[in-house]
Amino acid sequence: MKRYVFLFIAIVLAAIYLFPLYWMYVTALKSGSDIFQYPPAFWPAHPRLQLAQVFATYQVDRYVWNSFVVALGTTFITVLLGTGAAYVLANVSHPLVTVALFAILMLQVLPPSLMVTPIFVAFNQLGLLEWPRFAVVLATAAKTLPFYIVLCRATFTQIPGELRDAALVDGNSRIGAFLHIILPLARNGILVVSTLVFLQSFGEYVYSRSMIATKELQTATVGLSSFLGANSNDWVGLMTYASIYVTPILVIFVLLQRHIVSGLTAGALK
Amino acid sequence: MKSLTFGIAVVAFSATAAWAEPVTLQVWALDEPTHYTETLSREFEAKNPDIKVDIKIVNFGDLVNDAVRAVATKTAPDVTMIDNPETAVFSSRDLLLDLTPYVQASKVIHHDDFYPGPLANMSWNGKIFAISRGSNTIALYYNADMFKAAGLDPDKPPKTWEELYDAAKKLTDPAKSRYGLAFSAIATEESTFQFLPFAQTAGGNFDALNAPGSIRALQFWRKLLDEKLASHDVLIWRQNDATGSFIAQNAAMSISGPWELPALQKDAKFDWRVALLPVEKEGSPRVSALGEFNYAAFKTTKHPAEAFRLFEYFVSQAGRNWNEFGMLPSVQNAVANDPKWPAAYAVFTEQMKYARARGPSPVWPLISKAIQTAIQATLTDQTDAKTALETAQKTVDKVLTK
Amino acid sequence: MKILNAFRDGNGFEAVLVIAPVVYLVAFSAFPLIYNVVMSFQHVDMFSIASLNRPFVGFVNYLDVFTRPETPGVFLNTILFVVLSIVFQLSIGFALALFFQNEFPGASYLRGLFLAGWVMPALVVGAIWKWIFAGDFGVLNWVLRSLHIVSAPVFWISDPLFALYSIIIANIWLGIPFNMILLSVGLAGIPGDVYEAAALDGAGPFQRFRTITLPLMGSTLGAVIALGTIFTLQQFDLVSALTQGGPANASNVAQYWSWQLSFETYEISDGSVIATLMLTVVALVALIYVRSVQREQRL
Repeated sequence: MKRYVFLFIAIVLAAIYLFPLYWMYVTALKSGSDIFQYPPAFWPAHPRLQLAQVFATYQVDRYVWNSFVVALGTTFITVLLGTGAAYVLANVSHPLVTVALFAILMLQVLPPSLMVTPIFVAFNQLGLLEWPRFAVVLATAAKTLPFYIVLCRATFTQIPGELRDAALVDGNSRIGAFLHIILPLARNGILVVSTLVFLQSFGEYVYSRSMIATKELQTATVGLSSFLGANSNDWVGLMTYASIYVTPILVIFVLLQRHIVSGLTAGALK
Repeated sequence: MKSLTFGIAVVAFSATAAWAEPVTLQVWALDEPTHYTETLSREFEAKNPDIKVDIKIVNFGDLVNDAVRAVATKTAPDVTMIDNPETAVFSSRDLLLDLTPYVQASKVIHHDDFYPGPLANMSWNGKIFAISRGSNTIALYYNADMFKAAGLDPDKPPKTWEELYDAAKKLTDPAKSRYGLAFSAIATEESTFQFLPFAQTAGGNFDALNAPGSIRALQFWRKLLDEKLASHDVLIWRQNDATGSFIAQNAAMSISGPWELPALQKDAKFDWRVALLPVEKEGSPRVSALGEFNYAAFKTTKHPAEAFRLFEYFVSQAGRNWNEFGMLPSVQNAVANDPKWPAAYAVFTEQMKYARARGPSPVWPLISKAIQTAIQATLTDQTDAKTALETAQKTVDKVLTK
Repeated sequence: MKILNAFRDGNGFEAVLVIAPVVYLVAFSAFPLIYNVVMSFQHVDMFSIASLNRPFVGFVNYLDVFTRPETPGVFLNTILFVVLSIVFQLSIGFALALFFQNEFPGASYLRGLFLAGWVMPALVVGAIWKWIFAGDFGVLNWVLRSLHIVSAPVFWISDPLFALYSIIIANIWLGIPFNMILLSVGLAGIPGDVYEAAALDGAGPFQRFRTITLPLMGSTLGAVIALGTIFTLQQFDLVSALTQGGPANASNVAQYWSWQLSFETYEISDGSVIATLMLTVVALVALIYVRSVQREQRL
């Protein structure tokens, strides 16, 4: 019985929190001036779905693919460079480590809008803009790396010291201990943070807009802003596009996090 | 002897043929639902096989910043679109190609064809640096059905501020959540765009913000908000939002431009009409705002002649502006064949005669910001119109003398 | 000498693991940082942004920023924005994380749905909240008026009294998934037997929370708060979509103002001044975090 009370409360909470998501879908079904209607229309009088139109005109599949490529690349570099650092920063107590942690946090302090000009200038001179998506990946990873390191570090600190020492005693080399014993223990935390990094880099806008010049390589977030015109905004189109772009990601990650986080509650530390 | 001449001719011919490789123009254009640049560029390419147009789409909000960055890193395109008041930012710094000699030699583009408004923003120091592709302006949209219901004559829309105020008062109905008037006072260029005609008809201007006329204009806006004849949200509304309110019948009148016409046709379920923007009182100068974009070539372009040919093509098609691209022609000799929304077309075309340029000034963004600050401070009751505009004038003076 | 010893003890492996990302970050993030700080001391014209060679003007730009009338208001707004956002994001996120620790059917699906805030682009989130808060046609006002809590429309975004708080509410909404998911991970890392033992000892739920949960969540909480603060200080899209810092700078915050100065009115030196000042604030936050980590490690 208690379980169903919890379920009911959970549904109510989710309904309240997800209202903006619902509003996004509803607006995609409305026509232009319905947005300004009072009393507000919770369901449009004449729902119309512009899916096919928006999809075709704005090449949503192409843009989402590009976003996916950028997000994957960024996550890959971040995980590669960040995991080890997080581990060391969690376990080694040394003044230099403190300095490193401070530096890592400080180096992600500026918002992309302020970083883009110097980065663009430098990339341009280095010729990196020949591979625009790669350039975006490099720039975005610099933003997500500190985020990833700080959070994974917290995960690593939760691994009891005895397990770590036990791993070393068993005659493993440092690298072996790290790869075969420590990592699996921290696996779930790493996966959760990687997911957040992936989602965050999927939504990257400033660098993509500045560094990618050709339409074919453009990302989904930039495509989104094309609905905001000089004189008028096509809100319905924008919300339709956003629905196409948000829905699959949300579905995938609801399923994914379910898998990961439930692994945590099953006493993974045993 | 003959074979030598022939030989030379062959060599010369093949040399010229080799030189006639297609030239590629890099063009920056806005992403627009009407796809003006793409459409006309394709037609131009078809007519001029020796020129290719490579278009990069830039978002409106980022256009100037991207252009600045491109110039600074020497990656500027051949041609770009610029919003008309911001043209002076580039032309005053000698970054744009001087088009004056091309215009003088042109058979398509003539200096005197342009309306005075667009021409002012195309020029700097007497020289022409950009070509206006079209123009728009603002007028008064009103709901004729609501007029009749309130006892007003829909064939006699308000002509002066007093008539506007009276009409708004009669049309405001809080019980039905309806305001008399909707306009834009948002803290962006759009409020400057809407405010200046009010200031100018009363005798003020962007460099005479503390003139009595400017102050009266701002006080008039303040009165509309204080008496709830317009929504408080005008402070965060774009013109498009204000008209959205009008279409949803939450406002009886709205001030906006011809870009709203497609939405009005599709969604407005009432008898909507357009009238000229009211003047302050009888005999006051008639003024309206001037919007739309110019095309300019950067000085660093390697293909100035080809860029100018593209501009000539745009201007030659100005007659199609209204029906296909939702804007008015900038040249007085272009006539739309069978214009859509003929009544609106007539009003906007008439209004174009009085459309005034913003600036031109190389520091226009700072002037505009000063005006926006004054509007926002006054309408949120932080200060009164006179003080706010005095402060704005001081800022403008400081900026203009720097 | 100590450093060399550390290397010789076979800690070279660990040193490399840390140095690699630091080098990467220095390469890509250090020079934009320096670039901005340097610009705050120079006279920058919009077209000289690409070169570092510009007239040096000392603290003139700083003086200019501090003598502007809007400065104190913007700084106060920024503090309010950050503090209120973090406090509520954390508490609501924590409450939700605790709630979802319970087992009931569909729990994991429902928890995942809260990711919506993290997945939706900020542009879209801003637009939707703008409509929810709209004075004349917004859903919030409709609810309040239907319940007779207010009789006339409240202008959540265009009234200087409320504008900042509207952005804060939208920002809290945006930050809940981040807090909730990470705190869930932290909570899940606490072994169940610790709670059982405490319960057997007679500790009530609040006591258990205070003496077990909070301390064991220390490092996660620290990371979430530090990052949350830095993220909130960078939150730009929401302000841009909702109020553009208006009306009359009532909801303007340092990060948005910095952008306005650099990219709307091209007063780039002043924009850099604000960026540099924000840098010092973040340095403080980072310092506090790092010190708390140090203390933790000494335990």
